[in-house]
This record gives sequence, C-alpha cells and structure tokens, in this order.
Amino acid sequence: MRKIYKRILMLLVATLFAQNLAANEQVELKEHFLNKINEVILIVEDKKLSKNDRNGNIVKSLTPMFDFELMAKLSLGDAWKELTKENKERFLKLYVERMKQSYSAKIDAYKDEKVEVKKMEQPQPNRIVFVTDLISKEEKLEIVYKFHKPKEKINAKDSWLVYDVEILGVSILKTDKAQFKEFLQTKSITELMDVLAKQS
Amino acid sequence: MRFVYLALFLSMTFAFTGCSSKAVEEPKEAVVHEDKSRDDSNGELAGFTDEFEAKEIYDPFSGYNRAMTSFNDGAYEYVLKPAANGYKAVLHVEVRESVRNFFNNLYFPMRLANNLLQGKFCNASEETSRFVVNSTVGVLGLFDPAKSYFELEAHEEDFGQTLGFYGAPSGPHIVLPLLGPSNLRDVVSLYPDALLSPIDYTERSYWTLTDTSAEYLGAKSLEKINYVSLNMDRYERMRKDAVDLYPYLRNVYEQYRDKQIEE
Repeated sequence: MRKIYKRILMLLVATLFAQNLAANEQVELKEHFLNKINEVILIVEDKKLSKNDRNGNIVKSLTPMFDFELMAKLSLGDAWKELTKENKERFLKLYVERMKQSYSAKIDAYKDEKVEVKKMEQPQPNRIVFVTDLISKEEKLEIVYKFHKPKEKINAKDSWLVYDVEILGVSILKTDKAQFKEFLQTKSITELMDVLAKQS
Repeated sequence: MRFVYLALFLSMTFAFTGCSSKAVEEPKEAVVHEDKSRDDSNGELAGFTDEFEAKEIYDPFSGYNRAMTSFNDGAYEYVLKPAANGYKAVLHVEVRESVRNFFNNLYFPMRLANNLLQGKFCNASEETSRFVVNSTVGVLGLFDPAKSYFELEAHEEDFGQTLGFYGAPSGPHIVLPLLGPSNLRDVVSLYPDALLSPIDYTERSYWTLTDTSAEYLGAKSLEKINYVSLNMDRYERMRKDAVDLYPYLRNVYEQYRDKQIEE
C-alpha cells in the first residue's frame, strides 16, 4: 500500500515539476522580451541619433531575437525546396534585409507607447505565443509574437526566436507567403528577388 | 518517504510561485515533433507548414479589382494625400481628433445594433454609456471623456461582422472606388449600416446630419480627409511591404476582417 502511495506522490512531484519548468520558461522569456522592448524604446527616443543610425541600432538590438532566416524559408512554402543553392542564398539575404528594414521603420514610427504582455500560451513545448498590446494615448494595437525554440541553439541568437508577428490579426508571414505564391504563378523567382532587392 | 514529501512540498511551492502571475496560462497538451536533423531543411520546416497554409481567397473579379486598386492608389497619392496635407497644415491635431471623435460618436446606433445582434450585451451597454457620456460631458462627441476618465472602451462592430459572426462566408473580394478593399458580405452590409447612420441623403423619418447628396459628400469627404491626416504614414508604410499591391492589400484586408469577426 505504501508503495502505491509513494508512486503516486512521485508522479505528482514529476508533473508539478514539469509544469513549473514550463511556466518558468514563459516567465523568463517574458522578462527577456520586455527588456528588449525597453532597449528598443530607448533607441527610438534617442533623438540625437540620425534616422539611419536609429534604424541600424534597432536592427542590431532585435536581430538576436528574430529568426528571419526561418521566416524567409517559410515565406516561399514549397517553392523553397525547388530553388538552386545560389538562389536560396540570394533569397535568404534579400528577405532578411527587407524584414530588418521594414520592421525597424515600423517601430521607429511609434512614440510614447508602451508594450504590455496580456496573454502567454505554450501550444507546444517548443513554441510560445505572446499576445501583447501596444498602448498609446489614442489606441490599443494588438500584436502577437510567436516564438519557437530550435533544437540546437543558433550562433549569436537567443534560445527562443520570433518566427511570426501578427499585427491586428494580420500575420506578416502569412501575407508574404500568399503574395509570393501569387507572384510566382505568373513570374519567376528572379523577378521576385529583383522586387525584394528594390524594397530594402 | 520523508524525502518524497519534502520534494512534493518544494515543487508545490515552486509551482505556486511560478503560476501566481495571472497572465501565465497552463501549457496545453502538446505534440512533440521529431526533428529529423537541423541541416535537413525539410525536417526543420515540417513543424510549421500547417500553421501557414495559405487560405485561397475567392476572386472572380481580380481584373477589375486590380484596376480599381491602382485607381485608389493614385487617388490616394495625388488627391487624398495632398488634400490631407493641406488640411493638416491648417488644423491643429487636437481639432482633428475632435472631428474624428464627433464622427465616431455619430456612428453609435450602428455599433449598438450590431453588438446587440451578436448578443454582446456587455459591450452594447459599454457603448451606450460611452455615447451618453461623450454626447453630454464630451460636448456632442467632440471629446472622449468616456475613455480618458471612465475607461469605457469602444467596441467596433458593423453588419459585416454580424453576418460573419453567424457564419456568413465573405464571398468574392471586391475593391470599392475610394473606399478600398471589401468583399460581397461587407458590401451588402453597407446598406443596413447606412440606415443607422445619421449621415445620409435619403428621406428619413428621423433626424439626419445631412439632407442633400452634396452635404452628404461634403461630410463624408471631411471624415475621410480628417482620417488620412491623422494616420498619414500608415498606408504608405504598409504599402512598402507589397511585392504586388493588389493581392497584398486583399490578403491583409481578409485577415484583418477575420480577426475582427473572431473577437
């Protein structure tokens, strides 16, 4: 009888411990995320810097948290596998550059705003979703950050990486995937890359 | 045995401290995907593919839609933007915010009706309180004390969202002249919403702000130019990310509407 008790207790310990770890993982990531945001806000508010320097600093500060490379691959869907090695490299470079420009420009436009994490979810052990509000005097903007944890930590990157951002329900990755897919139905990947090159 | 109790006690304390923050939700049941290997790109991407399955948008009018998108884009660039810039130069931002608040307040009957139709009674009562406070203390809706002092939030609902709420599909995508992206469901909904709007030019048995179509157009243009002047760079910043403007805007619109309906 005691043996059974012991086993049940052991099991309880194990489950509680596992749950606890998962919760801590989220809390840790949340702290890290909010620190990053504060860092970026300081850069945005530093009006001594030129616009280009500001954007450069924002990119430098955010790059370790984003998995732009994964986003590039996912944005092409099945077409990614069919690219030649050179095209893969070129596309990756162009997409990452475009993302950096686009994101830093978007962030630089915001002033006197604060970020609140209002919900955290962990749909899979290696995925965490943050639902945040970007609060300004005028309005609340709901922005969702989706993180994944690669099996092996990537060099010069955080252990949890953002692979998609949803602004008011509009997913950057979904939008890119849809527009690239449609573009490639009538045009070639080279043409797509030329357009991307012009954007950044 | 004592060790087990101790461990249980310890992990329980950790568990409670870890979860005490309200925001932390228990991790749901998870499926662990076996990654084949890191350099095999297929294996790496496999876990994400179903997440970004592109939804096909029904688009039989794509030729017309594309032309109308270019027209709207041109109208924005060469008419709306210069007009809004001039307007912005003359009127202080506080005045423009009041103009926006005034129009928003007028659309209260539409928001109330659609909140009620969707059974969102709490939101409907919050909207009503907003209308009462802003129309009185807020001087005919020019100011928004409901939000700044009473923390009453607006709940945007239109008939398109009501239809979507009851499962109506969006139907073919339609780009409207000057108004921009829409779809059959939302176009049809313009009519019932217009019936509840005090800005109208048809004969009504109740009070409307405008009586003739000229007054109507004037009021609508003012609203639009005022809106653009307050959100100057939003469209341009968004447009920059498009490799092809029409499908990009169509997609953004449909995702945005789906999200609004879901809420």
